[in-house]
Amino acid sequence: MKKGLTVLLALVMALLPLAGLAEIDPAEFKGATLNVYNWGEYVDMSVIRAFEKEYGVRVNYKTYESNEYLWLQMQAGDAWDVIVPSDYMIERLIANKMLQPLDKDIVTNLDQLAEGVKNLPYDPDNTYSAPYFWQTVGIVYDTTEIPVEEMEAQGWDAFHNEAYAGHTYMYDSSRDAFMVAEKALGYSANTTDEKEIQDAWEWLRTMHRTLKPSYVTDEVIDSMAEGLKWMAMVYSGDAAYILSENEDMAYCTPYQGTNVAVDAMVIPANAENPKLANVFIQYMLDYDASLANSQEVGYASTNARVLEELSGPGGDYEGNSAYVPRAGYEKDEMFVDLPTEWQAKQPDLWAKVMAE
Amino acid sequence: MKSFFRMSYPYILWIALFIVAPMVMILLYAVTRSGNGTITFSFTMENFARFLSDPTFLKVLWTSLRIAFLTTVFCILIGYPAALFIAGLPEKRQTLMILLLTLPMWINMLLKTYAWRGILMNFEDLSSEIRVFIGMVYDFLPYMIIQIHTAIAKLDPNLKTAAYDLGANPWKTFLKVTLPLSVPGIISGITLVFLPAVSSFVIPKLLGGGNYVLIGNLIETYFLVAGDWNFGSAISLIMALIIILSMYLTKKLDTTAKEE
Amino acid sequence: MGKKKPAWHFFTSGYLILVLLFIYLPILYVVVFSFNDSKSMISFEGFSLRWYEAMLENREMLESVKYTVIVAVIATVVSTIVGTIASIGLSKARPLIRSVVMEINNLPVLNPDIVTAISLMLLFLSVKIQRSIVTLTLAHITFCIPYVILSVMPKLRQLDDNVAEAALDLGANPWQALTRVIIPQIYPAILSGALIAFSMSFDDFVISFFTAGKDVQNISMYVYSMKRFNPSVNALSTLIVVAVTIVLVLANLIPALRERKNKKEEY
Repeated sequence: MKKGLTVLLALVMALLPLAGLAEIDPAEFKGATLNVYNWGEYVDMSVIRAFEKEYGVRVNYKTYESNEYLWLQMQAGDAWDVIVPSDYMIERLIANKMLQPLDKDIVTNLDQLAEGVKNLPYDPDNTYSAPYFWQTVGIVYDTTEIPVEEMEAQGWDAFHNEAYAGHTYMYDSSRDAFMVAEKALGYSANTTDEKEIQDAWEWLRTMHRTLKPSYVTDEVIDSMAEGLKWMAMVYSGDAAYILSENEDMAYCTPYQGTNVAVDAMVIPANAENPKLANVFIQYMLDYDASLANSQEVGYASTNARVLEELSGPGGDYEGNSAYVPRAGYEKDEMFVDLPTEWQAKQPDLWAKVMAE
Repeated sequence: MKSFFRMSYPYILWIALFIVAPMVMILLYAVTRSGNGTITFSFTMENFARFLSDPTFLKVLWTSLRIAFLTTVFCILIGYPAALFIAGLPEKRQTLMILLLTLPMWINMLLKTYAWRGILMNFEDLSSEIRVFIGMVYDFLPYMIIQIHTAIAKLDPNLKTAAYDLGANPWKTFLKVTLPLSVPGIISGITLVFLPAVSSFVIPKLLGGGNYVLIGNLIETYFLVAGDWNFGSAISLIMALIIILSMYLTKKLDTTAKEE
Repeated sequence: MGKKKPAWHFFTSGYLILVLLFIYLPILYVVVFSFNDSKSMISFEGFSLRWYEAMLENREMLESVKYTVIVAVIATVVSTIVGTIASIGLSKARPLIRSVVMEINNLPVLNPDIVTAISLMLLFLSVKIQRSIVTLTLAHITFCIPYVILSVMPKLRQLDDNVAEAALDLGANPWQALTRVIIPQIYPAILSGALIAFSMSFDDFVISFFTAGKDVQNISMYVYSMKRFNPSVNALSTLIVVAVTIVLVLANLIPALRERKNKKEEY
């Protein structure tokens, strides 16, 4: 009898660390709807379907294509349960009290995160956000037109090289465009100095005049995979996909430094189903889901093991120079949310560059 | 008959709510200063001045008008003969032709544009301008043909016979009888092509390979990216005014044509 | 009419065939590539039904079709009813009121889509209405009604006023005068107004993009949100082409058949 009790006690003790998880009974969510708003082409849909099946819920999964559009939707009061903004937008959402903290009793998989993506300045203790994918911004280019050494030596200056006129795509995003110019000029990507921004604007106008680039958004992915132009500014995750589709393409992370960005899952303050949202985030952080998502999408996983396996020997992205983002390079920066006046001013200046 | 007029009350309420009120909102934003989401009632014309004084914006406006104008011209040049020839067919064939022209109008415009993107990828040498025109003319041509055809088909065949009897050759009959009388058709065709073409931005975006910033893109940028609703509203209003003005002029042209 | 020379006939038919080819080229292209074994839109690499299978498994895409149809049907029914009733009412209004209302009615037709879209979005945001399938449908009804009115109104004004008045004099109530006398006479115009409304709603992208909420996405929005091109869209378009063809052929056959029947009865 006494022995039996000891065994039971030992069992309880052994199960205790799992208590946080054990609380979740899938049946409790049966029939619920979870509203998830993510970037386009940023998930393996079969993962979503598996989650639905496991918890007997319905995921209303919609996509957006820019942080600014997401911000507009949030201001409009749309009640999403999980959204996946980038670092600087998370900073803005926290500052505006539009997020709620993660339930760390449920979201325990944060310990699977890779070192480089944890506890970053926009959310120092990952109180609100669970990193999902991460990336650098760089240049994807056709090595049959531009030799590797030539591109690596130029970095962002390639966007001032007359020889590439008419053969270039530039991504239509004001924040990224200004980052490119600021990095090329040796400034911070978060500068709010009038003169530096003026210089960056001039740099972009020179780019416009010399290169006549085509301004694109996501069309760049298919277009570069088809090899329609020589080079393009892209996000490393999209580059990884392009490289896997077209072996002539290579990826350059410019030596002048670039933006390192993290897109992380957060729960809005007005979420209708926060508990299920936490369960969903926990599910997406786990090894299996992370693996499937990163294989499908091409963006670098925030899950340490997945990142290592996919880029290592025999992994899907072995030898793919775009898959693992450059980490620890001193000239690289994360975005900080700009003051309100610049949030409007940069797109204005950028529109004028493109229209000139 | 008063009781019949009462039947339009629901609709008058509807347009007050969903047409007039939203336009008033745009107007309010356009003549006030910043403040995203809340209107601060400080009257200003600076949003309009900012647009009209900047050569870059005027260039965008000009490009939009030019593309719309050329699209309309091409639609008339290709569409008029088509409409004329259709009107010369036996009646059953005419109905069939019109049906064949209507059918593709039901297929989603974005899907057709994606298809053109694929087709045109086979022709690497085409300039992006030509790609955009192909896409735009493609999208609007059926409207033009149908409008002109309706006008020609309505013509009294006796007019033509009379002209022949008076010794006019087919060419002269066309110039003196058919063409002038089909002007109303051309004009309603212009309305259906030019107006939407000015504001179209999806086709130039998908086919132009990002070489065009049109006024529709600007509006989108200021609302969705910059969050500058006041300036965005001002551009919207300027565009709406230009279109309504050109509409008014076309109407004027139409009535003078009819009077002749 | 003068006899046409064969050369001329050859020329005109050739021209019309070219125009038809131009108009059907992208549609043929979509149909052919929906059976492509690879995801390329440039080269055809063998026959396969994989994109049809992928489409059937793509719940988001199928839902966008469902919502497109639901919204288009509701918008068509409501706008046809409201538009027809409003036209009848307006045709009896004082000329000044009528012309003012007609000018406003024309606004959504004349206004660039993006202006209409943004004005409606501003309205919904400022009165703090959550955007949803309801606001989307309201927006669609709003831009559909004007087309119904523009289609019905001219027909109404051709009608002889006296007929309706005679019916009233003979003791019919206004409702009977409406349903028994006026509507049967303008029926074809109502139908064509409804058809235009349906195709406008079915095809809309810009206005939907700005007025829909998180619960709903139509086909255009789905296609536009694709980051990489998904060839399942070709499969979907092919099925839409087939469906539209069947509907249009039926719509044109039924009146013809009915007419034939009517003619038979006359004799």
